Amino acid sequence: MARLTGTTAVGKLKHTQRYENRRLISKQTNNLRIRALASLQLVLAAALTESAAAQPLSVSTEAIEIQFAPRTPNQMMSFYEARGFPKEMLNILRKECFITVRIHNKSREIIWHDLANWRFSHDDKPLKREHRDYWLQKWHSMQIPLASISTFRWTLLPETLDYLPDEEEGGNIILPRVNGPIELSATFASGDDQRGPIITITHDRLNCAEDTE
Amino acid sequence: MKFAQYLLLAMMTQWLVANIHAGPIEPPKGIRHYEIGPAPGFTLVDIDGDRFTLDAFRGRWVFLHFWASWCGPCREEMPTIQRMSESFSDDEFAVLLVNTAEDEDTIFSFLAEIDTDLKSLMDADGQVTEKFRPRGLPTTILIDPQGLVQYQAIGGREWHQAQYTDFLQALIDHQ
Repeated sequence: MARLTGTTAVGKLKHTQRYENRRLISKQTNNLRIRALASLQLVLAAALTESAAAQPLSVSTEAIEIQFAPRTPNQMMSFYEARGFPKEMLNILRKECFITVRIHNKSREIIWHDLANWRFSHDDKPLKREHRDYWLQKWHSMQIPLASISTFRWTLLPETLDYLPDEEEGGNIILPRVNGPIELSATFASGDDQRGPIITITHDRLNCAEDTE
Repeated sequence: MKFAQYLLLAMMTQWLVANIHAGPIEPPKGIRHYEIGPAPGFTLVDIDGDRFTLDAFRGRWVFLHFWASWCGPCREEMPTIQRMSESFSDDEFAVLLVNTAEDEDTIFSFLAEIDTDLKSLMDADGQVTEKFRPRGLPTTILIDPQGLVQYQAIGGREWHQAQYTDFLQALIDHQ
Protein backbone atom coordinates (compact mmCIF):
# COMPACT_ATOMS: atom_id res chain seq x y z
CA MET A 1 0.00 0.00 0.00
CA ALA A 2 1.19 3.54 -0.47
CA ARG A 3 0.79 3.01 2.86
CA LEU A 4 1.30 5.01 5.92
CA THR A 5 4.76 6.28 5.41
CA GLY A 6 4.62 9.75 6.81
CA THR A 7 2.89 12.90 5.77
CA THR A 8 5.07 13.37 2.76
CA ALA A 9 7.12 10.24 2.25
CA VAL A 10 6.19 7.60 -0.25
CA GLY A 11 7.09 3.94 -0.16
CA LYS A 12 6.56 0.73 1.67
CA LEU A 13 5.75 0.83 5.32
CA LYS A 14 8.65 0.13 7.61
CA HIS A 15 7.48 -1.40 10.86
CA THR A 16 9.17 -0.10 13.95
CA GLN A 17 10.54 -2.36 16.70
CA ARG A 18 7.69 -1.25 18.92
CA TYR A 19 5.26 -2.38 16.28
CA GLU A 20 6.93 -5.81 15.93
CA ASN A 21 7.10 -6.37 19.71
CA ARG A 22 3.46 -5.53 20.14
CA ARG A 23 2.64 -7.74 17.20
CA LEU A 24 4.23 -10.78 18.91
CA ILE A 25 2.51 -10.14 22.22
CA SER A 26 -0.73 -9.58 20.42
CA LYS A 27 -0.49 -12.89 18.59
CA GLN A 28 -0.01 -14.78 21.86
CA THR A 29 -2.90 -13.12 23.61
CA ASN A 30 -5.00 -13.54 20.52
CA ASN A 31 -4.72 -17.32 20.68
CA LEU A 32 -6.39 -17.19 24.08
CA ARG A 33 -8.96 -14.71 22.84
CA ILE A 34 -9.75 -16.83 19.80
CA ARG A 35 -10.40 -19.88 22.01
CA ALA A 36 -12.64 -17.86 24.30
CA LEU A 37 -14.44 -16.35 21.35
CA ALA A 38 -14.92 -19.75 19.72
CA SER A 39 -16.61 -21.06 22.89
CA LEU A 40 -18.76 -17.96 23.10
CA GLN A 41 -19.72 -18.29 19.45
CA LEU A 42 -20.80 -21.89 20.00
CA VAL A 43 -23.02 -20.83 22.90
CA LEU A 44 -24.45 -17.94 20.90
CA ALA A 45 -24.96 -20.10 17.83
CA ALA A 46 -26.81 -22.68 19.89
CA ALA A 47 -28.97 -20.00 21.48
CA LEU A 48 -29.72 -18.36 18.15
CA THR A 49 -30.49 -21.68 16.47
CA GLU A 50 -32.90 -22.53 19.26
CA SER A 51 -34.54 -19.14 19.00
CA ALA A 52 -34.67 -19.29 15.20
CA ALA A 53 -36.27 -22.72 15.31
CA ALA A 54 -38.97 -21.34 17.58
CA GLN A 55 -40.02 -18.56 15.23
CA PRO A 56 -38.78 -17.70 11.77
CA LEU A 57 -37.99 -14.02 12.04
CA SER A 58 -37.78 -12.98 8.45
CA VAL A 59 -40.09 -11.64 5.85
CA SER A 60 -39.59 -11.87 2.13
CA THR A 61 -41.23 -10.57 -1.01
CA GLU A 62 -40.06 -10.78 -4.61
CA ALA A 63 -38.21 -7.50 -4.15
CA ILE A 64 -36.95 -7.49 -0.61
CA GLU A 65 -35.92 -9.75 2.24
CA ILE A 66 -35.73 -8.58 5.83
CA GLN A 67 -34.29 -10.60 8.69
CA PHE A 68 -34.84 -9.78 12.33
CA ALA A 69 -32.68 -11.00 15.20
CA PRO A 70 -33.90 -9.98 18.67
CA ARG A 71 -30.92 -9.51 20.99
CA THR A 72 -30.93 -10.28 24.67
CA PRO A 73 -29.82 -7.58 27.13
CA ASN A 74 -26.77 -9.69 27.94
CA GLN A 75 -25.78 -9.91 24.29
CA MET A 76 -26.02 -6.16 23.86
CA MET A 77 -24.29 -5.35 27.12
CA SER A 78 -21.41 -7.71 26.28
CA PHE A 79 -20.99 -6.03 22.94
CA TYR A 80 -21.06 -2.47 24.23
CA GLU A 81 -19.12 -3.21 27.39
CA ALA A 82 -16.33 -4.78 25.36
CA ARG A 83 -16.12 -1.49 23.49
CA GLY A 84 -15.66 0.49 26.66
CA PHE A 85 -19.08 2.10 26.84
CA PRO A 86 -19.56 4.03 30.10
CA LYS A 87 -21.69 2.46 32.80
CA GLU A 88 -24.35 5.18 32.70
CA MET A 89 -24.87 4.49 29.00
CA LEU A 90 -25.07 0.73 29.56
CA ASN A 91 -27.60 1.18 32.37
CA ILE A 92 -29.94 2.97 30.00
CA LEU A 93 -29.45 0.61 27.07
CA ARG A 94 -29.93 -2.49 29.21
CA LYS A 95 -33.61 -1.63 29.61
CA GLU A 96 -34.27 -1.32 25.88
CA CYS A 97 -35.33 -3.89 23.32
CA PHE A 98 -32.77 -4.42 20.54
CA ILE A 99 -33.59 -6.09 17.26
CA THR A 100 -30.89 -6.45 14.62
CA VAL A 101 -32.37 -5.94 11.17
CA ARG A 102 -30.82 -6.97 7.87
CA ILE A 103 -32.39 -5.70 4.66
CA HIS A 104 -31.57 -7.18 1.26
CA ASN A 105 -32.76 -5.60 -1.97
CA LYS A 106 -33.42 -8.59 -4.24
CA SER A 107 -34.87 -6.51 -7.05
CA ARG A 108 -33.31 -4.71 -10.00
CA GLU A 109 -34.64 -1.35 -8.83
CA ILE A 110 -33.49 1.00 -6.11
CA ILE A 111 -35.51 0.43 -2.93
CA TRP A 112 -35.93 3.39 -0.62
CA HIS A 113 -35.80 2.59 3.06
CA ASP A 114 -37.17 5.13 5.51
CA LEU A 115 -37.74 4.17 9.13
CA ALA A 116 -40.42 6.86 9.31
CA ASN A 117 -42.53 4.42 7.28
CA TRP A 118 -42.18 1.61 9.81
CA ARG A 119 -45.01 1.19 12.32
CA PHE A 120 -44.55 -0.97 15.39
CA SER A 121 -47.38 -1.95 17.69
CA HIS A 122 -47.95 -4.11 20.72
CA ASP A 123 -51.33 -5.10 22.18
CA ASP A 124 -52.98 -3.01 19.46
CA LYS A 125 -51.20 0.11 20.68
CA PRO A 126 -48.46 1.96 18.81
CA LEU A 127 -44.98 1.22 20.05
CA LYS A 128 -42.78 4.25 19.63
CA ARG A 129 -39.31 3.73 18.23
CA GLU A 130 -37.00 6.57 19.13
CA HIS A 131 -35.22 8.27 16.25
CA ARG A 132 -31.43 8.01 16.29
CA ASP A 133 -31.25 11.77 16.92
CA TYR A 134 -33.03 11.20 20.22
CA TRP A 135 -30.24 8.87 21.33
CA LEU A 136 -27.43 11.03 20.01
CA GLN A 137 -28.80 14.08 21.79
CA LYS A 138 -29.19 12.07 24.96
CA TRP A 139 -25.57 10.87 24.85
CA HIS A 140 -24.29 14.34 24.14
CA SER A 141 -26.28 15.81 27.01
CA MET A 142 -24.79 13.13 29.28
CA GLN A 143 -21.32 14.02 27.98
CA ILE A 144 -20.67 10.49 26.82
CA PRO A 145 -17.28 10.17 25.06
CA LEU A 146 -17.49 10.79 21.31
CA ALA A 147 -15.96 7.39 20.53
CA SER A 148 -18.83 5.59 22.30
CA ILE A 149 -21.40 7.80 20.59
CA SER A 150 -19.82 7.10 17.22
CA THR A 151 -19.76 3.33 17.73
CA PHE A 152 -23.32 3.39 19.01
CA ARG A 153 -24.41 5.33 15.93
CA TRP A 154 -22.74 2.85 13.58
CA THR A 155 -24.57 -0.06 15.15
CA LEU A 156 -28.00 1.45 14.41
CA LEU A 157 -30.04 0.75 11.31
CA PRO A 158 -29.85 3.93 9.19
CA GLU A 159 -32.99 6.07 9.32
CA THR A 160 -33.01 6.34 5.53
CA LEU A 161 -31.08 4.54 2.84
CA ASP A 162 -31.44 3.92 -0.88
CA TYR A 163 -30.70 0.25 -1.36
CA LEU A 164 -29.11 -0.48 -4.71
CA PRO A 165 -29.99 -3.74 -6.47
CA ASP A 166 -28.55 -6.63 -4.46
CA GLU A 167 -27.35 -4.33 -1.69
CA GLU A 168 -27.60 -5.70 1.82
CA GLU A 169 -27.22 -3.48 4.88
CA GLY A 170 -28.41 -3.67 8.42
CA GLY A 171 -28.23 -2.44 11.97
CA ASN A 172 -30.12 -2.31 15.22
CA ILE A 173 -33.47 -0.81 15.96
CA ILE A 174 -34.32 0.06 19.55
CA LEU A 175 -37.84 -0.25 20.92
CA PRO A 176 -39.30 0.01 24.41
CA ARG A 177 -39.05 -3.40 26.06
CA VAL A 178 -42.39 -5.22 26.08
CA ASN A 179 -43.56 -8.76 26.74
CA GLY A 180 -45.31 -10.59 23.95
CA PRO A 181 -45.48 -10.18 20.20
CA ILE A 182 -44.68 -6.96 18.40
CA GLU A 183 -46.36 -6.22 15.08
CA LEU A 184 -44.59 -4.40 12.29
CA SER A 185 -45.93 -2.86 9.12
CA ALA A 186 -43.47 -1.12 6.81
CA THR A 187 -43.54 0.35 3.33
CA PHE A 188 -40.74 1.06 0.90
CA ALA A 189 -40.76 3.20 -2.22
CA SER A 190 -39.00 1.79 -5.27
CA GLY A 191 -37.49 2.95 -8.55
CA ASP A 192 -34.97 5.69 -9.34
CA ASP A 193 -37.51 8.44 -8.75
CA GLN A 194 -39.34 6.61 -5.93
CA ARG A 195 -42.39 6.34 -8.14
CA GLY A 196 -42.23 2.58 -8.63
CA PRO A 197 -44.51 0.11 -6.89
CA ILE A 198 -44.79 0.54 -3.11
CA ILE A 199 -43.49 -2.50 -1.29
CA THR A 200 -45.32 -3.40 1.89
CA ILE A 201 -44.16 -5.89 4.46
CA THR A 202 -45.77 -7.01 7.70
CA HIS A 203 -44.67 -9.19 10.55
CA ASP A 204 -46.71 -10.00 13.64
CA ARG A 205 -44.36 -12.09 15.71
CA LEU A 206 -41.37 -9.91 16.48
CA ASN A 207 -40.35 -9.91 20.10
CA CYS A 208 -37.88 -8.65 22.63
CA ALA A 209 -35.39 -11.37 23.55
CA GLU A 210 -34.93 -12.11 27.24
CA ASP A 211 -31.84 -13.32 29.03
CA THR A 212 -32.16 -17.04 29.65
CA GLU A 213 -30.24 -17.27 32.95
CA MET B 1 -17.18 23.82 -49.80
CA LYS B 2 -19.07 20.57 -49.22
CA PHE B 3 -15.79 18.82 -48.37
CA ALA B 4 -15.13 21.42 -45.68
CA GLN B 5 -18.57 20.81 -44.20
CA TYR B 6 -17.96 17.03 -44.11
CA LEU B 7 -14.59 17.61 -42.54
CA LEU B 8 -16.11 19.84 -39.88
CA LEU B 9 -18.85 17.27 -39.17
CA ALA B 10 -16.26 14.49 -38.88
CA MET B 11 -14.19 16.56 -36.47
CA MET B 12 -17.22 17.36 -34.33
CA THR B 13 -18.23 13.69 -34.22
CA GLN B 14 -14.72 12.70 -33.21
CA TRP B 15 -14.71 15.34 -30.45
CA LEU B 16 -18.06 14.11 -29.15
CA VAL B 17 -16.96 10.46 -29.09
CA ALA B 18 -13.71 11.36 -27.33
CA ASN B 19 -15.54 13.33 -24.68
CA ILE B 20 -18.16 10.66 -24.09
CA HIS B 21 -15.34 8.17 -23.40
CA ALA B 22 -13.64 10.68 -21.12
CA GLY B 23 -16.58 10.58 -18.71
CA PRO B 24 -16.48 8.90 -15.29
CA ILE B 25 -15.49 5.26 -15.40
CA GLU B 26 -18.37 2.94 -14.61
CA PRO B 27 -17.59 0.97 -11.47
CA PRO B 28 -18.24 -2.75 -10.94
CA LYS B 29 -21.14 -3.99 -8.84
CA GLY B 30 -21.09 -2.76 -5.25
CA ILE B 31 -19.22 0.45 -6.00
CA ARG B 32 -21.22 3.56 -6.68
CA HIS B 33 -20.56 7.08 -7.80
CA TYR B 34 -20.28 9.30 -4.75
CA GLU B 35 -19.45 12.76 -5.94
CA ILE B 36 -19.63 14.87 -2.81
CA GLY B 37 -16.89 17.28 -3.84
CA PRO B 38 -13.52 17.77 -2.18
CA ALA B 39 -12.59 15.15 0.39
CA PRO B 40 -12.72 16.63 3.89
CA GLY B 41 -9.17 17.09 5.07
CA PHE B 42 -7.88 15.36 8.16
CA THR B 43 -4.77 14.57 10.14
CA LEU B 44 -4.69 11.35 12.15
CA VAL B 45 -2.05 9.29 13.90
CA ASP B 46 -1.32 5.62 13.33
CA ILE B 47 -0.63 3.03 16.03
CA ASP B 48 3.01 4.12 16.24
CA GLY B 49 2.01 7.69 16.86
CA ASP B 50 3.07 8.93 13.41
CA ARG B 51 0.89 11.67 11.94
CA PHE B 52 -0.67 11.50 8.48
CA THR B 53 -2.44 14.19 6.53
CA LEU B 54 -4.75 13.38 3.66
CA ASP B 55 -3.44 16.31 1.62
CA ALA B 56 -0.02 14.66 1.47
CA PHE B 57 -1.48 12.04 -0.86
CA ARG B 58 -2.72 14.56 -3.45
CA GLY B 59 -1.71 13.57 -6.98
CA ARG B 60 -2.63 9.91 -6.54
CA TRP B 61 -5.86 7.99 -6.27
CA VAL B 62 -6.54 7.34 -2.60
CA PHE B 63 -8.31 4.22 -1.34
CA LEU B 64 -9.70 5.38 2.00
CA HIS B 65 -11.11 2.46 3.96
CA PHE B 66 -13.14 2.86 7.16
CA TRP B 67 -13.41 -0.16 9.42
CA ALA B 68 -14.03 -1.40 12.96
CA SER B 69 -13.07 -4.66 14.65
CA TRP B 70 -16.69 -5.46 15.55
CA CYS B 71 -17.85 -5.44 11.95
CA GLY B 72 -17.87 -8.95 10.51
CA PRO B 73 -17.24 -8.09 6.85
CA CYS B 74 -14.24 -5.94 7.86
CA ARG B 75 -12.47 -9.06 9.10
CA GLU B 76 -13.01 -10.90 5.83
CA GLU B 77 -12.20 -7.93 3.65
CA MET B 78 -8.92 -6.81 5.18
CA PRO B 79 -6.69 -9.60 3.77
CA THR B 80 -8.12 -8.95 0.32
CA ILE B 81 -7.22 -5.26 0.64
CA GLN B 82 -3.67 -6.24 1.42
CA ARG B 83 -3.50 -8.51 -1.64
CA MET B 84 -5.02 -5.82 -3.81
CA SER B 85 -2.58 -3.18 -2.54
CA GLU B 86 0.36 -5.33 -3.62
CA SER B 87 -0.80 -4.99 -7.24
CA PHE B 88 -0.21 -1.25 -7.34
CA SER B 89 2.75 1.03 -7.10
CA ASP B 90 2.87 3.37 -4.15
CA ASP B 91 3.47 6.29 -6.49
CA GLU B 92 0.13 5.89 -8.23
CA PHE B 93 -2.19 4.55 -5.57
CA ALA B 94 -2.44 5.15 -1.82
CA VAL B 95 -4.24 2.76 0.50
CA LEU B 96 -5.26 4.36 3.79
CA LEU B 97 -7.12 2.46 6.47
CA VAL B 98 -8.99 4.36 9.14
CA ASN B 99 -10.28 2.60 12.23
CA THR B 100 -13.47 4.13 13.54
CA ALA B 101 -13.63 4.97 17.23
CA GLU B 102 -11.69 2.10 18.78
CA ASP B 103 -8.68 2.12 21.07
CA GLU B 104 -5.11 1.30 20.16
CA ASP B 105 -5.09 -2.15 21.77
CA THR B 106 -8.25 -3.25 20.01
CA ILE B 107 -6.88 -2.12 16.67
CA PHE B 108 -3.56 -3.80 17.28
CA SER B 109 -5.09 -7.10 18.37
CA PHE B 110 -7.38 -7.15 15.37
CA LEU B 111 -4.62 -6.48 12.84
CA ALA B 112 -2.36 -9.07 14.45
CA GLU B 113 -5.14 -11.63 14.54
CA ILE B 114 -5.84 -11.39 10.84
CA ASP B 115 -2.10 -11.38 10.22
CA THR B 116 -1.92 -8.41 7.91
CA ASP B 117 0.93 -6.01 7.34
CA LEU B 118 -1.48 -3.16 6.83
CA LYS B 119 -1.34 -0.41 9.40
CA SER B 120 -4.26 1.75 10.27
CA LEU B 121 -4.87 5.32 11.21
CA MET B 122 -6.88 5.85 14.36
CA ASP B 123 -9.98 7.99 14.23
CA ALA B 124 -10.20 7.78 18.00
CA ASP B 125 -13.43 9.72 18.46
CA GLY B 126 -15.00 8.74 15.13
CA GLN B 127 -15.33 12.33 13.93
CA VAL B 128 -13.26 11.96 10.74
CA THR B 129 -15.41 9.02 9.72
CA GLU B 130 -18.52 11.15 10.29
CA LYS B 131 -17.20 13.79 7.89
CA PHE B 132 -17.20 11.32 5.00
CA ARG B 133 -20.77 10.19 5.72
CA PRO B 134 -20.23 6.53 4.79
CA ARG B 135 -23.35 4.38 4.47
CA GLY B 136 -22.08 1.81 6.92
CA LEU B 137 -18.97 -0.05 8.00
CA PRO B 138 -16.91 -1.14 6.24
CA THR B 139 -16.90 1.54 3.58
CA THR B 140 -14.26 2.48 1.07
CA ILE B 141 -14.10 5.94 -0.45
CA LEU B 142 -12.10 6.53 -3.64
CA ILE B 143 -10.59 9.99 -3.93
CA ASP B 144 -9.14 11.18 -7.23
CA PRO B 145 -5.70 12.78 -7.63
CA GLN B 146 -7.29 16.24 -7.43
CA GLY B 147 -8.68 15.45 -4.00
CA LEU B 148 -12.30 14.97 -5.08
CA VAL B 149 -14.42 12.13 -3.70
CA GLN B 150 -15.58 10.04 -6.67
CA TYR B 151 -16.78 6.60 -5.55
CA GLN B 152 -18.01 4.73 -2.50
CA ALA B 153 -17.90 0.97 -2.03
CA ILE B 154 -20.38 -0.35 0.46
CA GLY B 155 -19.88 -3.44 2.56
CA GLY B 156 -17.14 -6.00 2.23
CA ARG B 157 -15.81 -7.38 -1.03
CA GLU B 158 -12.85 -9.32 -2.37
CA TRP B 159 -10.74 -6.44 -3.50
CA HIS B 160 -8.03 -8.61 -5.04
CA GLN B 161 -10.46 -9.98 -7.63
CA ALA B 162 -9.87 -8.86 -11.20
CA GLN B 163 -13.11 -6.92 -11.51
CA TYR B 164 -11.92 -4.55 -8.77
CA THR B 165 -8.20 -4.39 -9.58
CA ASP B 166 -9.06 -3.79 -13.26
CA PHE B 167 -11.37 -0.97 -12.24
CA LEU B 168 -8.76 0.59 -9.97
CA GLN B 169 -6.12 0.25 -12.69
CA ALA B 170 -8.50 1.94 -15.14
CA LEU B 171 -8.85 4.85 -12.73
CA ILE B 172 -5.09 5.18 -12.44
CA ASP B 173 -4.59 4.94 -16.22
CA HIS B 174 -7.32 7.49 -16.85
CA GLN B 175 -5.91 10.20 -14.59
